[in-house]
Amino acid sequence: MKQQKNRWWYVFKMIIGLTILGFLISILISAFIGTDFRGLDGNVAVIDITGTIVAEKDVDFLFEDVTSSDEISKLIRKADRTARIKAIVFKINSPGGSAVASEEIANEIKKTNKTTVAWIREIGTSGAYWVASSADYVIANRMSITGSIGVIASYLGFSGFLEEYNVTYERLVAGNLKDMGIPFKELTPEERALFEKSLDSIHNYFIEEVAENRNLRKKDVEKIATGMFYLGVEAKELGLVDELGSKEEVINYIEKQIGEEVDLVEYKKERGLLSSLSQVINEKFFYIGKGFGNSFFTKARLADSVSIST
Amino acid sequence: MQFMNKLNLGKTFLAQASVLKRIIAFFIDFLIIYVIILFPLKRIFNNIIPETGSFSETVNFLNNNAEYSTFITVIMLLVAVLAILYFVILEKKLSQTPGKMLFNLYVKSQTKDLNYWQLFVRSMFLIPVFPFVLLWIIDPIVMLFTKENQRLLEILSKTKVVEKYKI
Repeated sequence: MKQQKNRWWYVFKMIIGLTILGFLISILISAFIGTDFRGLDGNVAVIDITGTIVAEKDVDFLFEDVTSSDEISKLIRKADRTARIKAIVFKINSPGGSAVASEEIANEIKKTNKTTVAWIREIGTSGAYWVASSADYVIANRMSITGSIGVIASYLGFSGFLEEYNVTYERLVAGNLKDMGIPFKELTPEERALFEKSLDSIHNYFIEEVAENRNLRKKDVEKIATGMFYLGVEAKELGLVDELGSKEEVINYIEKQIGEEVDLVEYKKERGLLSSLSQVINEKFFYIGKGFGNSFFTKARLADSVSIST
Repeated sequence: MQFMNKLNLGKTFLAQASVLKRIIAFFIDFLIIYVIILFPLKRIFNNIIPETGSFSETVNFLNNNAEYSTFITVIMLLVAVLAILYFVILEKKLSQTPGKMLFNLYVKSQTKDLNYWQLFVRSMFLIPVFPFVLLWIIDPIVMLFTKENQRLLEILSKTKVVEKYKI
């Protein structure tokens, strides 16, 4: 009998030991991948779109507040596939960014079957407005800044600077326009015209998308697509925004749509231990290997020197 | 007392274990493993895999998100390690697991004493990667067609499960 008791006592100790080990492993895993232990129990996903919109984050954006279309697309897909999520709120506080990245996010929003609401807080201009317009409903604060439907491309020109220091740019190209937009020489009229043509095309896509998303006539959007920004209250009059308000209005609208009480849950990429460590390592290498100054001279290609933003 | 001894009453002997008892014992052990190992990790799974309407939707989600499936495989391997530890340590120390204890079942070596290697081999069906997952089907089938109701892994590990009977 005593022997039997001892056996059960051993089993009990073993079970306690394995339970502790199980918990330790789960804590370790969550520390490494950054899984949020608060759980994803809500029925409305909130996805933040903050800072410049870029296609993917890289070392250049370490110190900037950016939103990557890759990450946002993943979060949208995850929310879309989660049965308990009935609606997705995009909390926007961004001046826009890459045209490609903005369109990627906008397309992903349009694909989802859930109710989507764009909530513009302080700023939702340009590419960020493109994203907002693709949601089912747009709510903005009356003092928020939105609109700015336009495209900008710019780069720093060094040709005058080089001339002053008697440094010459030796041009060796196969293909007359290969070095178009390089910062060491001025744009020719032909190159400038080509650039402007491309920008016009992007602007036209932007206008078409906004007109389609907001159910407006293209002509009407063209009139307001001067790149000018509008206050929330003006945007409402122009049809760029459906309602003025804040979180309360967002919740009220969604409750009407889904017919149940709203329980918001943040969808965001958690920064795990590994990710944080890799960021620290990246920062070190950024300073050691790259430096600030030499990046001007290594980035002589068009793609690196000219940035096109919406 | 003499009469009892003559009849061998109160004595025990080992004989082939009942297949039904073995199956029930396994499910009890499985339940314990689920509670102590899978339960703490369940929230992690829930946060990674979204709630879907069907199994095929979940499979589809994992196919589209390769990084998640790799991660889940890693977690499943960790779970398997803990589950194997559960069986190996208890069977080495007691020749039993809680499930087997309830039905007086014992793991016996067909050679000498049970060693860790034998116990590991008989628990390999818990490894959640191909080809070990096939053992979930092959192992019980083999058990039904062998003389001493041995699973394939028991034959390979030269072990068997016996039942202690009391007269």
